This record gives sequence, C-alpha cells and structure tokens, in this order.
Amino acid sequence: MFETMMSGMWTGMTATFIPINIMMVLFGCFMGSFIGMMPGLGPITAVALMIPITYGLDPTTGMVLLSGVYYGAIFGGSTSSILINEPGEAATVATAIDGYPLARQGKPGKALAIAAYSSFSGGTIAVIIMMFFAPLLASISKGFQSVDYFALMILGLTAVSAFAGKGGFAKAMLMTILGLMLSTVGTDQTSGTQRYTFGSLELLDGIEFLMLAMATFALTEALLLVLRRDECSDSLNPKSIGFKDLKVTKKEFKLIAPTIARSSILGFLVGVLPGAGATLGSFMSYGMERNLAPKEEQEKFGKGSLRGLSAPETGNNAASTGSFVPLLTLGIPGSGTTAVMLGALVAYGIEPGPRLFVDRPEVFWGVIMSMYLGNVFLLVLNLPLIPYFARLLAIPRVIMIPCILFFSLMGVYLITFNSFDIQMMVIFCVVALFLRLMNMPMAPLLLGFILGGLMEDNLRRGLSIYDNSISFMWERPLTLGINIVTLIVLFFPLIRSTLGGLKSRVMAS
Amino acid sequence: MAREKLGAFLMLIFSVAYGVGAFSIPLSFLAQRETFTSRTMPMALSVIGIIFSLMIIILPTIDEAGKETFGTTIKGMEFKKTTYLILLMIGYGLIMKWIGFIIASAIFLIIGFRILGEKRIKVLILGSIPLVCALWIIMSLLLGVYIAPGEIFYMMGII
Repeated sequence: MFETMMSGMWTGMTATFIPINIMMVLFGCFMGSFIGMMPGLGPITAVALMIPITYGLDPTTGMVLLSGVYYGAIFGGSTSSILINEPGEAATVATAIDGYPLARQGKPGKALAIAAYSSFSGGTIAVIIMMFFAPLLASISKGFQSVDYFALMILGLTAVSAFAGKGGFAKAMLMTILGLMLSTVGTDQTSGTQRYTFGSLELLDGIEFLMLAMATFALTEALLLVLRRDECSDSLNPKSIGFKDLKVTKKEFKLIAPTIARSSILGFLVGVLPGAGATLGSFMSYGMERNLAPKEEQEKFGKGSLRGLSAPETGNNAASTGSFVPLLTLGIPGSGTTAVMLGALVAYGIEPGPRLFVDRPEVFWGVIMSMYLGNVFLLVLNLPLIPYFARLLAIPRVIMIPCILFFSLMGVYLITFNSFDIQMMVIFCVVALFLRLMNMPMAPLLLGFILGGLMEDNLRRGLSIYDNSISFMWERPLTLGINIVTLIVLFFPLIRSTLGGLKSRVMAS
Repeated sequence: MAREKLGAFLMLIFSVAYGVGAFSIPLSFLAQRETFTSRTMPMALSVIGIIFSLMIIILPTIDEAGKETFGTTIKGMEFKKTTYLILLMIGYGLIMKWIGFIIASAIFLIIGFRILGEKRIKVLILGSIPLVCALWIIMSLLLGVYIAPGEIFYMMGII
C-alpha cells in the first residue's frame, strides 16, 4: 500500500511539476480567485467558464487547471463575503458571519489574511489525508461491477438531495429527475434509437454538457444579478486595504491553530460524502467551533470572532478537497462543482471510476499533487495581492455582466461552432431562470444530467448479467450495502427532524 | 400559490408530457421483446417526476423562502433589461455566422453595456473592441483554434 502511494506520488509529481502544468495551476488559482470574488458567481460558474480553455489541453493539464480554479474560487468567495458581506456562493456564507463584522471593526486586512491562512491550512491538511484515503478507496472499488456503480450513482443523487436543507429534499429530487430526463435526449447508445430529438439533427448527439452548465449557472447567475437589481455594496471601501493591515500576531495564530486542525478533519470527512460539499463543511465546522468554544469566546461569535472566521474557511477548503475523493475514486461527484468537473473528464474521453486509478494514474495523482502546489500558490499569490484583488470588487456591474454573458456564449460556440447551440443555451437559460425564481436548486439538475447516461448504461449491463432480474439489488452483498446506505441517506432528513424534536422535548423537560 | 408549488405544477405537466413522449420512442421488433428498452428509463423517470411533483404540491411547504408567491418574488425585478439581454443573446447567435466572430462580439458587448446603462462612448468602445481582438488573437494565433470569418465576407468576395 505504502509502495503504491509512493510510486503514485512520484507519478503525480512528474505529471504536475512540468512548466505547463505549474503555469496552469497558477493561472487556475488566479482566475478562480478572480471569478469567485465576484458577488453572485461561485465555483461552479468559475469552473464552467474555464472548461472551454481546457478542451485543447492534455487531460491532466485540463484537470489541474480546473482544480486550481475550484479552490481558487472558494478562496475568492471569502473575499467578497468579508469585504462587502456578499458571499459569492453558499460555501462562504458562514465566512461572512464573523468576517464581515471583523472588517467593519476596521480590520479587513486581518480578516482576509486569517481567511487566507485558514484556507491554505485546511486545503493542505485535507490533501495529506486524501493522499492516504483516495488510493485505499480506489483499490477497494476496483472490485465494483456495473450493478454496484448503478447503486452508487443512486446513492450520489440521493445524497445531493438529502443534504439540500430544510424542505429542500423533494425539490432537489425533482431537479435531479429533470437532469436525468434531459440526459435521455439524443441517440440511445445501445439501441441506436432516437429519443426526444423531434427530428432535429442538432439533437442527435444529445444536449452538450458544457452548454447546459453554462446556461444553468453562468448565464442564469449573470441575469439574476440584473433581475434583482443587485448593486455592489459600498459599505466598505476595498481600496483602503494596505499591506500592513494583513499582519496576524503570534497570539492570534495560537488561537486559531486548534480550530484549523479540527475543522480540516471535519471538513474533509464531510466533503467525502457524496452530495455534501463545501457548504455543509463550512457550516458544520462553524457550528462545531461555536459549541467547543468557552462561554466568553462563544459570545464573540457573530461579532467578529477569529475562531468563527477561521473555522468555516478551513472547513470549506478541506471539504472541497474531500469532494475530489468520490470523484477520482468512484466517478461520483461529491458536489455541484465536481459534477461539472466529472462532465469535463467525460468530455476529455476519460472514463471516470475506479479504473482511473489504474488506467490514468497521471490524471489521478496529478490532480492530487497539483493541490499542494495550488494551496501554496493561493497563499503566496493571494496574500500580497489581496489589496489589489479587493479593488476588483469595484468593477461596475454594467461592464461585468455583459462580459460574463459574452464569455459563456463564446465558450460554447468555440467548442461546437454551431450557432444553434447558442439559441438552445438561451432557451435553457430562460427555463433555469424561472426555475431559480421558483426556488428550485440547479446543482442536482446538472448532477442528474451528467450521471444519467452512465446510470442507464450500468443498469442495462447489470440486468443483462443478472438475466433481467433486479435481484442483484439485495442478493449481491456490496450492492446491498450501498443500497442500505442510500436508504439511511434517504431518511436522513426524517431522522434529523425526529432527533431535533426529541432534543427540544428533552431540553423543555 | 407558493412559488415552489407553481414550479412543481409546471414540472408535473412536463413529466406527464415527457412520459407521453416516451411512447413515441421507436422500438425495433427485437427490442420490443426485451425487458429494458429505450423507453424504460424515460417512463420510469416520468413516473418518479410525477410522484415528486405531487409531493411538493400536496404536502405543506416547509422552506420559508419557497412559501412566498411567484408574484411577490418577481415584484420590482428588472424584467425590461433582462429581456433585452436575452434578445441580445439570441441576436448574437443569429448574426455570428453571417458577420463573423469579431464584429458580432464587439456589437454584442457594446449593446450589452448600453442596455445596462453605460453611456460613455469611450467605455463602450474600449471595453469591447480590445477585449474581442485580444481573445481572437489568443484563440486563433496562440491556441490555433480556427474561427471562421462571417459568410457575408465570402458573399461580398472580400475573402
């Protein structure tokens, strides 16, 4: 096991430490930080916007770039949370709880610096854990059959919905189903039959993944900014931050060190769960830290506590790293962003799943090793650049929004060279916009769309192996085990509310 | 009606239509005798879609954000500019093939900035043309991606 890991690390190092990949990590971190910082734009949008650039690259280089964009965007999101109380996405909402009050107390530089150190530590610790964990899981999953994959995909889709939050389960499931429905459009690969093409030649190959990702995230987010008349808050002047404001004292480091250690482990474990992702990682880390803090420290939470800022920042970075584990080892995305990355992997012609570890070790280990580099770059690049990055928040929406729309449309056009895709993209964007206004989540839709084809293929293969019987669902121990986990996850909201009710009754008595 | 329920109602209609559409998927003679055909997955999805849509419609809404009506949600929203931007994107798709990437993109950006309220001609020009030209140079000359010129240039005999 240790030998496999060492040789894997070497493979990863030789794949990552070449000039083009080092440049791509740097570029990815920079672009991710830049896009993630824009209020309203999250890592999914950032990754989707960067995919067209990766199409001409080697798959390892492409994945390395996208990984850099991902954790760069998570880090970038915290900047807008801290400075203007406008989280780029849900994963950095918890950062704003203590980060913004700290900035309002005249310490925006300190808040940004603590966020940078926490992100770096969370990301690095999580990569170290991942290095041991991922190969172990990958070697176990080598024995998986089609039916196990099918069960795993059901688990992944259910988990995304189960962690959707209060009252969100049915909505997330409905959107997952819509994604699965969209994945059936085009020619059925096994029988060659056309499904829902309505005689259109353009739909024969199905719906382009990138087009759907851009339409449901990048375009929709940009148009929502216009619809809601969102204006950049001017409550804090980002231009006022200087280098000297970034100083963190030894005492402050000592205070946040245990928080970082705890939140890294918790964040990573939460991130590994399919569907949980960085949002849950950040909120759980914040909650844990508040519960563990002494009473006088607890009172500071929400008013600019350093521990309250450090915990979610560490947690969301560790969780984003953790979400790569199911992606790389099982081919199941752990979050909306990794779902987009899974789509990119498929587009590069790589079959995701346990075989990735065996067939394309350079991709598997390259991504892992690039994360070390990415975390260092993020700290080295972002810390001195914070004052300049912060000024980007002052870019007027009038300029930013048409540019986002343009990059999204251009990205899809330059891959397909078909103006029909632009029209279809606009249609999907309008539908997604209305769905968003009706409070429907979009990430499960994308996840369902990406896994739909793979799920149908695996089920079909499984049924042909088991003489058209679905008995494999309970007869094969591994499949049964996965199905039991799915049932637990499915009833997780019910268990959670029951436990919550019991707790409040106990408290009341 | 709560906006969530309205969304579920529309999804219910879509699921039914999708399910009905599944019956139109052609099956060969041999495929008709198989257990799992091209219709199986769509039909199953349609049924599950109907079940979840009905669940949202029938059960009480728990999520506070989903309880407000669609009318309340969209009240005061900037629909005019959004509609113009959507039309602009459609127009961009239509003219791209004819007038080419550079001109279509520059026009798209200039009109986009203008729709959102930018009036300074200097910003309109400097924010669009250099960006489009830089992108064209990166894509065509550095990355080697061939971007076809507009058909109008062929028709006019310029290229």
